[in-house]
Amino acid sequence: MVVLRRARLRFTAVALVTLVASLAAPTAQDADDAVRTVRVSAERFTFTPSEIRVPADVPVRIELKSEDTDHGFRIVGTDVDVVIPKRSRGAAVVTVTLAEGEYTFECSQICGAGHAFMRGVIIASAEDGE
Amino acid sequence: MLLGATAAAQTGSPPAPEPRTGISGYMEAHYNKPEFEDGRLDFHRFVLLVTHSFSDRLRFVGELELEHAFVEGLEEAGELELEQAYVDFLLDRSFNVRAGMMLMPVGIINERHEPPVFYGVERPFVDTVIVPTTWFEVGAGVHGEVGRGLRYRAFLTAPLNAAEFSAEEGLRDGRQKGAEANAGRLAATGRVELVSIPGLTLGASLWSGKSGFEFRPRFDVNVHVAEADARYARDRLELRGQFAQVWIDNAATLNQALAFRIGVDPNLPSAMRGFYAEGGYRFISGARIGDVGAFARYENFDTQFRMPDGYLPLRAFDRDALVVGATYWPEPDIAIKADVSWVRNRSSVIEAPNSWNLGIGWWF
Repeated sequence: MVVLRRARLRFTAVALVTLVASLAAPTAQDADDAVRTVRVSAERFTFTPSEIRVPADVPVRIELKSEDTDHGFRIVGTDVDVVIPKRSRGAAVVTVTLAEGEYTFECSQICGAGHAFMRGVIIASAEDGE
Repeated sequence: MLLGATAAAQTGSPPAPEPRTGISGYMEAHYNKPEFEDGRLDFHRFVLLVTHSFSDRLRFVGELELEHAFVEGLEEAGELELEQAYVDFLLDRSFNVRAGMMLMPVGIINERHEPPVFYGVERPFVDTVIVPTTWFEVGAGVHGEVGRGLRYRAFLTAPLNAAEFSAEEGLRDGRQKGAEANAGRLAATGRVELVSIPGLTLGASLWSGKSGFEFRPRFDVNVHVAEADARYARDRLELRGQFAQVWIDNAATLNQALAFRIGVDPNLPSAMRGFYAEGGYRFISGARIGDVGAFARYENFDTQFRMPDGYLPLRAFDRDALVVGATYWPEPDIAIKADVSWVRNRSSVIEAPNSWNLGIGWWF
């Protein structure tokens, strides 16, 4: 409860969210070396990694691939909510700039009996930017 | 190839979450041909999942399953089961509360059993007679994740009913399934799971409960289930293994009490054990026609692994199986399966039937 409240308060004006669905290899996002890329794998009922550390106030590209069915990637308390396409159908890419804080993310597409366990956290901090 | 892009910006307070309801489910139909018997066509499972988010912190999940397509009162036919119906109170990543009808967090299959995600037409034997999947009970507990991928869940639920155990099918008929379940003494169950390494899931589960509540005068039948499993899935390869053991305390007294009640000594064991190892590989992956994979699984399971003093095991219940088959996924959520199952037991008199099986299962 405390974490969610803190995340909302710190979610100041953040900003850019880009979703790109691609049938091609997801590494297409590597072209922009200036943006740090975090690769996240989704499968019933786990995000790996489930704890993501990113620098605060810096754009970070999150590349999401599924190993099985459609999953969702929703950052609670924000308007980030994208569909991760099924296995072999490309990737979803989200670019976020987060103020310092902790942000819970979760699967937003029902994906099976253990769907409710698919949650994780993004920790944005100044230290991770160094 | 880029298909499209959307952009959104947020410059103030986050959007207020709206209540959301979703429906989903899975189905599987099988053709089973046991040796020496006619084949059977069975619409094995029709399952609907319903979820509702009251808010970001309050969620409902429900799973209603119709087994074997047809339910008729007072006769052996299908079953209509409420396998999940709980509310999650999401407090923090490391600590959340759940209450209602829940899946027991034991083994690989019990919580992860959608047809496209496991090889084989039927679930592993170990996940049928040693771990009685689908295993669900009413209760409450906590769950969460700490650090980089260490998950836990711990629940208190209604116990198993030892009066329904059997030598052949183990604990299976002892599930109370939340149907006015006796809860005089609650069972405890828990699982820890490490998911921090990409593709690898390591898990260990325990279940412990007092299951002799039906007998008068009452006597203790402490039942313990311990389980460990590993699963590795990377690109085309999938490996998994599981070990499970069950201990039934006071089994001799339980046998005598049941013999007095039903007229036949059920010859229940003091321990059951099972394990399996499975390897699967997708020979075709990401092709226009879909994916094709093959697998092999070796299982060893014995529902009379240890007997109480004065009882002898029936060798027919000491079994092992080799299951070999293939799966075709025309798309990731549809699985068309075929397998052959060679089953062997230690009895020189009773033969275990082999079988071949076909199936189709899907998730939507």
